[in-house]
Amino acid sequence: MAGHFDSTETGVEYKDYYKTLGVSRDVSADEIKRAYRRLARKYHPDVSKEPDAADKFRAANEAYEVLKDPEKRAAYDRIDPDEARASGARGGGFQPPPDWDRGFEFHGGGYTGGDSADFSDFFESLFGRGFAGGPGAAAGGPRQRGGMRGRDHVARVEIDLEDAFTGATRDLTLNAPDTDAQGRVTHRERTLRVRIPKGVRAGQQLRLSGQGMPGMAGGEAGDLYLEIAFRAHPHFRVDGADLILDLPVAPWEAALGATVKAPTPAGPVDLRIPPNSNGGRRLRLKGRGLPGATPGDLYAVLRITLPPADDEAARALYERMADELAFNPRARLGV
Amino acid sequence: MSRDTDTVLTAYVVESQTTITLGHLCRSCGVHAEWVQQLVAEGVLEPAAAGERERWAFSADSVPRVHTALRLQRDLGLNVSGVALALELMDEIRTLRRQLDAHQER
Repeated sequence: MAGHFDSTETGVEYKDYYKTLGVSRDVSADEIKRAYRRLARKYHPDVSKEPDAADKFRAANEAYEVLKDPEKRAAYDRIDPDEARASGARGGGFQPPPDWDRGFEFHGGGYTGGDSADFSDFFESLFGRGFAGGPGAAAGGPRQRGGMRGRDHVARVEIDLEDAFTGATRDLTLNAPDTDAQGRVTHRERTLRVRIPKGVRAGQQLRLSGQGMPGMAGGEAGDLYLEIAFRAHPHFRVDGADLILDLPVAPWEAALGATVKAPTPAGPVDLRIPPNSNGGRRLRLKGRGLPGATPGDLYAVLRITLPPADDEAARALYERMADELAFNPRARLGV
Repeated sequence: MSRDTDTVLTAYVVESQTTITLGHLCRSCGVHAEWVQQLVAEGVLEPAAAGERERWAFSADSVPRVHTALRLQRDLGLNVSGVALALELMDEIRTLRRQLDAHQER
């Protein structure tokens, strides 16, 4: 979480919630809501591509949790930031003043949203821990005999193309955005050892039985859904089940035809290039894409790569072609 | 962070032909059936088997979509139409990114 001050040994540091939301201390409740909404849209884990979006979103949520509530905001405002920072700097860590919450009723735990695991130690030192984020009976899912089934979790994971190609057992670290009993976003980082089935494709989901939220009153646990994405591969691009490879070829290989080596995820294969192939030609290797009931194909796109004309012999060869071949590459442009 | 790597978990691909009931979908996300009904009315979700609401079935791969819809509504204060618009735009961005990626030379 974005802390503005150095952590102390005890770990609790003062957090400037106004600074987190980018507003001054005297703004109206409406202004605070606007600032929060702006940040939420910018850093929402479903929408944002920024690398630290989840942390920023969490920080904004925590700040908004305090500042949207007139009582909590008033209590928070009673803490002198300079004094809080000074006590942190003395090494004792932040301690709320003894009577800082006098006249307010929220002390001793309980706040409207969020998961205690999700808010900072600073927040907890002020407002206590929230209710344990169990599955929400309040949300009104139909009841089942023998307790209520836990909710499902959804997380996005990136895997290597090779793992999908062959199937593999991998440790996956999940940073799952999720909603708790009060419906606020929470985050949980977990590492699971998962057997990835062969042939899974980007955009597909994997289901892990019983790895969601625990059930209530003896109900079974929910499931974990993993949305699969592939890490960028240095050679292959992915289009559904098909793989696309840019294959560099020499001008004479393209002109005269040749059999060249081409990489595939299963190892190199021999690829026959027909004579008079031009740059951009797509050659299909049937069934060499991602495996499955209908395996994908691998397309090799020819990229003609010129030998550099940086010595006498090479230059002489290019000059001979220029002299002897009547060739205008721009004929189609009418020039 | 919790580590749970002693056991190897087996993952199954969620096939889009697999269907779940309305009740299952509601329990999955902790939402009311009425809310799912609103998503259907806005075209966010398409019941795999139409007809009486009690008999609705949904493709099993719609679970993450409903979770995302719920987060968008709660975190960004969107109404159901806003959620529908955001999801459509997110789908389009995803498709465009995929096409861009498939056509970019490496």
